[in-house]
Amino acid sequence: MSELVTIYIDGQPYEVPKGANLVDVAKFYADNGIPVFCYHPKMEPVGMCRMCLVELGTIMRDRDSGEVITGENGEPQVRWFPKLQTACTTTVTDGMVVRTNTDAVIEARDDMIEFLLTSHPLDCPICDKGGECPLQNLTMAHGPGRSVFYWEDKVRLAKHVPLGELIYLDRERCIQCARCTRFQDEIVGDDVLAFHERGRELQIITVSDPPFDTYFSGNTTDICPVGALTTADFRFEARPWELKDIASLDVYGPEGANISLSTRLDRDAGGIVIIKRVMPRQNEAVNEIWISDKTRFGHHHTRAAERLTKPKVRVGDRLVEAEWDHALEVIRKHIKPNVSVGAIAGPTLSNEDLWELRKLAQAVNAGAKLSIYPATMTGGDIIAQVGVGVGTNFKDMGSGTTIVVVASDIEEEAPIWYLRTKVAGDRGAKILVLNARETRLDHYAADSIRYDYGAAVSAVNDLAKHEAVTNAENLVLICGAEGMTLEQHGELMNACANLLVSTGHVGRPNNGLLAVWEGANVQGAFDVGFSTEATAEMMAKVPDLLFIAGCDPIGESAEAAGLSKAKFIVVNSLFDTPTTAVADVVLPSQSFAERDGTFTSGERRVQRFYPAQGVIGQSQTDWRIFASIRNGLNGSAVQRLTAGVFKELAGEIAAYEGLTYPALAVVERQFPDVGGDDLYYGGTAYQNNGGLGVQYPATSEAEGAKPSKFATKGKKTSYKGLTAIPVNRLYDRGYLFKYSDELMQQRIGEPFVVINPADAANIAGGSRVGVTIDGVQYEALAVVSEDAPKGFVLMPKRLTSQPGPFAPAAIETIEVIAEPVGA
Amino acid sequence: MVEERLILLRDKEIPDINNYDVYVKNGGFDALRKCVSDHSPADVIQIVIDSNLRGRGGAGFSTGRKWSFIPKDHPVKYVAVNADESEPGTFKDRQILENNPYQLLEGSLICAYSIQATAIYIYCRGEFWDLAHDLEACIEKLHKENLAGENILGSGWSCPIYVHLGAGAYICGEESAMLSSLQGLLGQPRVRPPFPTQVGGGLYYEPTVVNNVETLANVPWIINNGADAYLAIGTPESPGTKIFCMSGHIQNPGNYEVPLGTTIGDLIELAGGGQNGKKLKALLPSGASGPVLPLTDEVLNAPCTYEALASLGSTLGSASFIFMDEDTDMVWATHRMMEFFKHESCGKCTPCREGTHWLKALMDRVLAGDATESDVERLEVVSIQMAGKSLCALNDFAINPVLSTLKHFRSEYDAYLNGEGAKAASKKPVPAKA
Repeated sequence: MSELVTIYIDGQPYEVPKGANLVDVAKFYADNGIPVFCYHPKMEPVGMCRMCLVELGTIMRDRDSGEVITGENGEPQVRWFPKLQTACTTTVTDGMVVRTNTDAVIEARDDMIEFLLTSHPLDCPICDKGGECPLQNLTMAHGPGRSVFYWEDKVRLAKHVPLGELIYLDRERCIQCARCTRFQDEIVGDDVLAFHERGRELQIITVSDPPFDTYFSGNTTDICPVGALTTADFRFEARPWELKDIASLDVYGPEGANISLSTRLDRDAGGIVIIKRVMPRQNEAVNEIWISDKTRFGHHHTRAAERLTKPKVRVGDRLVEAEWDHALEVIRKHIKPNVSVGAIAGPTLSNEDLWELRKLAQAVNAGAKLSIYPATMTGGDIIAQVGVGVGTNFKDMGSGTTIVVVASDIEEEAPIWYLRTKVAGDRGAKILVLNARETRLDHYAADSIRYDYGAAVSAVNDLAKHEAVTNAENLVLICGAEGMTLEQHGELMNACANLLVSTGHVGRPNNGLLAVWEGANVQGAFDVGFSTEATAEMMAKVPDLLFIAGCDPIGESAEAAGLSKAKFIVVNSLFDTPTTAVADVVLPSQSFAERDGTFTSGERRVQRFYPAQGVIGQSQTDWRIFASIRNGLNGSAVQRLTAGVFKELAGEIAAYEGLTYPALAVVERQFPDVGGDDLYYGGTAYQNNGGLGVQYPATSEAEGAKPSKFATKGKKTSYKGLTAIPVNRLYDRGYLFKYSDELMQQRIGEPFVVINPADAANIAGGSRVGVTIDGVQYEALAVVSEDAPKGFVLMPKRLTSQPGPFAPAAIETIEVIAEPVGA
Repeated sequence: MVEERLILLRDKEIPDINNYDVYVKNGGFDALRKCVSDHSPADVIQIVIDSNLRGRGGAGFSTGRKWSFIPKDHPVKYVAVNADESEPGTFKDRQILENNPYQLLEGSLICAYSIQATAIYIYCRGEFWDLAHDLEACIEKLHKENLAGENILGSGWSCPIYVHLGAGAYICGEESAMLSSLQGLLGQPRVRPPFPTQVGGGLYYEPTVVNNVETLANVPWIINNGADAYLAIGTPESPGTKIFCMSGHIQNPGNYEVPLGTTIGDLIELAGGGQNGKKLKALLPSGASGPVLPLTDEVLNAPCTYEALASLGSTLGSASFIFMDEDTDMVWATHRMMEFFKHESCGKCTPCREGTHWLKALMDRVLAGDATESDVERLEVVSIQMAGKSLCALNDFAINPVLSTLKHFRSEYDAYLNGEGAKAASKKPVPAKA
């Protein structure tokens, strides 16, 4: 805890942390909301809007003795600033005296509001921000009510200026607070917004091509203190006061971003409650108040027209719709005792789903294979041992902390971790990037270490001597799996764990390992007993009976084609996919929005999400489907509530011992005090009413724990000829995101491959090429760039409907199909 | 009649002093050599403090004290020369840059030596592109003569000089906006503290001395002649000479360098009095930024010092004296100034961005003869609403013309309200659209 000082606000003394911002302190400690527009607690103050003017002074002390100088009446003398001062640019010092309720201050607030409103359209009745607008609220609280200015002399400006496809700017409403430009510049590092012109002409423009090119654009609409920035997704869709907010979780990434689903009964959706928008929910330890655009705009899959509404059963070579009872009966009939069984769990199954899937598979055959898709990464058990310590928070990382990112393009794979790593770097943390190619994070790295694909392990081993590691007080390793097989990734996880153990960076907060899992609940799947090794085994030797849930392996991964050879396949799915096409029974499951459950984030934080949206068709929760099948087999009991399933799970899985739904729903007051009713302060990010979740401790945190060394062979793989390296893109056409509507489709773009100029002798950038791997040709746009190391072709996963390789693969040929347009 | 005392405008006596050899023959760079060989950096700062040289950019802060604020042991420090001369009616720096550039460069180098600066940046207003070009040639010469660049005069201290051109914004003459602009950022003032001389506040956030061209051009003379000699010129509080940019309805407009303390009346006499013998009625002592003064006897007899003008309710500023004769329509003139401030407000702070817009809109009404009594009151209300509430001084400058003309020339506003002013205005040249 930092040093405390005494300050006086409107005559009352408060003990507050020295050097803290006056606006933050007044709000948190004195419940005194100094109004602000430009100031935002997550960004450097700029003092532009002048709304936070206060009277400021310091208690006078004798220069020599340090004694407080008192006046005739014994009161301490105060040296006042001659003019009003902006509270937002003031950091508190001992003996500071602040007045926020004097005539001068009240008049100044009136004056600022009047100035702002005279150039504002006052179109609140048709404004999306109306009802949750800082300007509206502060006008009610502080405005003079009347203006001396002429309405007809008001400036008229463009009201529908697209800043890219996702965000619209209303120039009339903009009050030039620069929150959006500063967010992009200071927090994200994509300075794609800027001010243009000056004075009353000052306006926001985008300076990137494509416009507003960033993964975080939606956050600017939350922190915009007026309705100037709105999302293409939500504008003119609903009024804030009609919306009910339900706590939920991001389903795409391993970060566990807390979100709030704004829902409403909707006529166009057939009279069910639907998600109208996704907002961030404050969790200072997880995502603060930021979410990626994928999280924000990727909710349309939950009510896509393609959603399955009824079970389907195979009749000959066709799948025909059937009633639930019939479908379950068909499954029961086909399950013979002790057939070989495999279960493949997608990355968005909740812990409860996974638990019931495990129980079902093991009820059929105790030796059932429990596997995770996609099977690109391993080491959930290693995370359980040496994962980051409880209390780890990127926000606390700064000088003295080293963050190492290995084999991951983290901006694409875990955008929230990217953003928080970048900001920690700004605070003085050292960032090391180890990768075979350059990524965006390299820009913020203290050191970028290049290795050849296949040599990541030795690069990590060499880190033990790196100055940024040996001098680190705290060390966090973030491990991805780009350019490696499952086995190679296992080696890499061991090497990372080893480095942490041998340097003593385990078992405490802000130290340890993070894995960039490909999905929201991969850690949970490992915890419940699933593994990716099992997936690999299953692909080599396909079991007779297969349960596949929450994923589309056959449609996405070239390696999964063989799964269709299983004798009987049951698929739980939201949509018809190439995987359901080979199924014998297809069961419609519910999306995250229709149900409750828990996910375990990459930081081992177990968090709850809640039912928000009306159920689509006859879809059922995955866990209930599995439980029903099990009940049909052996008559064993079925839990009535998701909470009951979790309770059962927590009783069996050691790591989850003691966790309960009420414990996961506990919320504490967070600093800064964003969210809630004080929209002016932090924007429209939501107050967390759904719980902060609980991070379960890694085994290395136990008292007296001595983590053993992890074995690595340190073997390098060298590749000959041209090798395809599958890479992850944030925006892809994966199982869920493919069904996000048109809006996102524009940003996903067409399939492409990146070829090093040295390997592209006869290939012009922009031509269409056919890349042949294992006899299969993949058509893509050729990007010729140094971004791909020599000898390697970067092949983004899941950009086409054609299943592609998920592990490095030898390229047989690359042929030009069509020259670049215009060549 | 008062006579000019030429410390800065030496080109008036030595026409080709902008030639390096001529400058050197006339004692050029003696001061820099003397500093490097005889004085420690701290000595130099002390001499300048003792001379009580005050900043000529407008604020009149003690130059030597400003230099002394630079942390001694900080590794990177800069001198940023403010040559963004954009105050209406100010053209003194231009004459120094054009006709006596080496004296500015020498002064800058002495300042740089005193703080052991890493580099000197000269920020020229965009319209000075030709001067900037010539200045670069001068700098190249200094680098060749070992007076700038690596290991200056064998002292072991290195300091290159760079010239940077602005892009035509008045606000970039404000020191912190100038620093932002130099860094390639939007030209908007910064929050202070930290001040430019502090870590975090200067150019690239390193401690930086920002001085006006005229200020620095004084320094070689002070080093050569000593602080006492400088104090002997002008008044004790405002020592030295000052260039007065005389313009407007004055018979012989131009730059006049006289000791501070010279009366306004004497200055008018020096410049030949009112144009075509007309009576002068108003003075804008610091361009558009300072309150307008009516040329009463009290004003005419006032000495031109920082203190005296402040006591008259105005400022000396950069001493750009714009005179207006008896035929001048003060309302029209105020409208022009409001148009200027509205055009030049950077837009960062609410009161200035919105206030200048409304003052201009109200002045439009007055000029068009559409205003009512309450509109004139509104001018005052808006001005008070703006006063003292912004980050930089532009906001407060902008209200000066309105408040001061309302105070001293209210009858001219009344004429507009009665429908007489508009008729008069129709004879005036139409204000150009900003």
